[in-house]
Amino acid sequence: MNFFRYLSSRWDDLLELGLAHVGITVLAVLIATVLGVGLGMLVYRNPRARQFVIGTTSVFLTIPSLALFGLFISWMGVGTTPVVVALVMYSLLPIVANTIVGLRQVDPAIVESAQGMGLTRVQRLWRIELPLAWPVVLTGMRVATLITLGIAAIGAYISGPGLGNEIFAGLSRISSPNALNQVLGGTLGVVVLAILFDMFYVLLKRLTTSRGIR
Amino acid sequence: MTIAVEQLDVGLRRRTALGWLVTPAVLVAVLVALWLIVAGRQLDSIEERRVNLAFIGVAAMEHLTLTAVSTLLVLVIAIPLGVLLTRPSARRITGPALAVFNVGQAIPSIGLLVILAIVWDVGFWPAVVALVAYSALPVLRNTMVGIQQVDESVVESGRGMGLSRLQVLTRIELPLAVPVILTGLRTALVINVGTATIAALVNAGGFGGIIITGLVQNRQLVTLVGSVLTAVLALAIDYLGRVAEEVLRPRGL
Amino acid sequence: MTDTPPIKIRLDKLVKRFPGQARPAVEELSLEIPEGEILILVGPSGCGKTTTMKMINRLIEPTSGRILLDDEDVTHGDPDKLRRRIGYVIQQIGLFPHQTIAQNIATVPGLLGWSKERIAARVDELIGLVGMDPADYRDRYPKQLSGGQRQRIGVARAMSADPDVMLMDEPFGAIDPITRDRLQNEFLRLQAEIKKTIVFVTHDIDEAIKMGDRIAILREGSQIAQFDTPERILVNPADEFVSDFIGRGASLKRLSLSRVRDIEPSTWPTVTVGDDPAVARRTLEETDRGSLLVLDEHGAPRSWVTAEHLQRSSGIDGGLPVATVGSAATLSDTLNEMLTARYSTAVVVDDTGRYTGVVDIDTINEAIRGMRSAERERQRSSLAKGAAT
Repeated sequence: MNFFRYLSSRWDDLLELGLAHVGITVLAVLIATVLGVGLGMLVYRNPRARQFVIGTTSVFLTIPSLALFGLFISWMGVGTTPVVVALVMYSLLPIVANTIVGLRQVDPAIVESAQGMGLTRVQRLWRIELPLAWPVVLTGMRVATLITLGIAAIGAYISGPGLGNEIFAGLSRISSPNALNQVLGGTLGVVVLAILFDMFYVLLKRLTTSRGIR
Repeated sequence: MTIAVEQLDVGLRRRTALGWLVTPAVLVAVLVALWLIVAGRQLDSIEERRVNLAFIGVAAMEHLTLTAVSTLLVLVIAIPLGVLLTRPSARRITGPALAVFNVGQAIPSIGLLVILAIVWDVGFWPAVVALVAYSALPVLRNTMVGIQQVDESVVESGRGMGLSRLQVLTRIELPLAVPVILTGLRTALVINVGTATIAALVNAGGFGGIIITGLVQNRQLVTLVGSVLTAVLALAIDYLGRVAEEVLRPRGL
Repeated sequence: MTDTPPIKIRLDKLVKRFPGQARPAVEELSLEIPEGEILILVGPSGCGKTTTMKMINRLIEPTSGRILLDDEDVTHGDPDKLRRRIGYVIQQIGLFPHQTIAQNIATVPGLLGWSKERIAARVDELIGLVGMDPADYRDRYPKQLSGGQRQRIGVARAMSADPDVMLMDEPFGAIDPITRDRLQNEFLRLQAEIKKTIVFVTHDIDEAIKMGDRIAILREGSQIAQFDTPERILVNPADEFVSDFIGRGASLKRLSLSRVRDIEPSTWPTVTVGDDPAVARRTLEETDRGSLLVLDEHGAPRSWVTAEHLQRSSGIDGGLPVATVGSAATLSDTLNEMLTARYSTAVVVDDTGRYTGVVDIDTINEAIRGMRSAERERQRSSLAKGAAT
């Protein structure tokens, strides 16, 4: 069957899968952002702590996704949970690393003047350092999202949600005439999502970055 | 996966000699623990077919070969391409070229592998193509960044001394770009180990196959063994890559 | 001692020892800072002046000793609350780039819980106070301002909650000399109005002399080599360290502290435009100066004329250009003018531009002689009183 005819017949299924894919991606990146930015804020001033956190999160990113899934399955079963946990672990490094870099890049004179004015530690972090580091943190989130989109597709193998299911469906019926269409549908769906997320991040950056530092 | 993260100056100190020993020690300890777990269990026939040294050895070779061949090809293709894209004559196509590569990065690895499997064939070589396509961007980008970040004044003094453009490239820009390029290569290596794992789904062999058997046949031990071995392999290769980076870094940088 | 205002800040035996250092950065420093004055902490690099200043708002915590603000011991207690009572200006300014000028200035009042209206009014007031248009600059971002403007806003921000005390760490250090001079003058004008207690750190002795009501010259370990008014330090350096630090030309520096209106100018024979040239020639013959000063109808100096000029047809209308100084000019600026002026003489004019006298090298010499004898007189009388300097 022609690919485009295939698309028009199955677009509602693909949409549903796409939404599920978006859902799990957003969930994972959000959790990773909360955890990662928090971690970054805790350790960015301490060299040893930084080393430990960066080292640990890079180990996560180095372990191939299938292996991580395999390790989690005995513990959490198959389905969404192990996939989300793995996705969060993968997203941590870009976000933590970027948070640390972003915070360290803030001009020390600005922090000193804020301290001299009587802003407490928390006020300084929240009102001054974090907003100034935000563009860099956003970039980290963008990288994390891209990684997550790709690995979420693999997660379908262990019954995770999303477009990966189309790809694996095509793989399992590899000799059938529609196999390629299915795989293409799933694959291109992920690419489209990646482009959409990217545009979203560009917009988000514009909206949330103060005009003073653009 | 991108390498933007790798280049960030997170302010880490150089490792001490002792620091370099930590990773191998930990990996060996993990392998020993795995061995102990397996040795203590009675294996049924399915498990036995997979969890034995001979089979594991073969799988390891398959995995390593796939990784090595792909990474070598990436080296040969992406580094020269990266160099070319930094030349002034290429300025106009650099932007669009990078945009295309960036979009390419968005293609899920599993998708690419399966597409190639359907369109071409299952097995080793289609998997290699997918791995190369997937890990080329980090190397490409790092090569370009590495060359572009060479201090302008150093290049200028080179031209001023009478070195030709090519000589400046080979004697000044490339050597100074080596550390960054090596990091890109290491990243590609790690990506390839990961993608090679999934490539087992399209009959390319490797440790991924063990994991898949465990999942399909519902044998937790096999899954565990496959997963741990894969993780250890990936971390070991990453470690060796870091050692190579350190050793091959030109003095004075 | 001469009349000193009440003591605003008292540093009592402050010590700061950093870990791993042989000598303390600040070795038992005791200092009393009078209210409403600019106190300069000046000394060579590494002497501890910045460390000392930063202990006042506890950005650096003292190892031992006390800090008293208005006789209240603030050495312990919440440092953030203390800092909201003290204005703080640093060399790199540190404006928050992601906030507007208004938001920057509003920071501390916001922390103190002022109402929105009060804050908005204060923001506008301060922007105007530092010589900028509130309507224009209120909503701009720091990156849109020049270096001098940023420095002004930095000062405005430090004054936002109307603190009694301000700490300034080389605030004009990173600016070009021309702008710096202007900013210093403006700041002095401002201080004359607002009369805050200011602790000002600099390494530049000339800035110290210009800006300070009192100067503490510090040596290593933040030890006071001399603590006195600029005039007395210049005339009577306590020891070799101080005189070396002042550098050559202490007398010349003295001249920057006196103004033309403080001294007795000389006179010069004048003639007015429209006068009979014959009368002018006779006046010229009767004086022992070689020329006459020509004034216009309003009495403002126009030119010098010599006998030669008077013989020409142009007569009184011709002549050589005149260098003028206002009555507020410092003697050192006047000396500058004189060195390049005709007859090495500068003509003094009042606010309307009218001639009031001239200053030449003799006038300056007289002035210096006067300063020296006044100082000797003062020393004699204070020794007689038995009081320590």
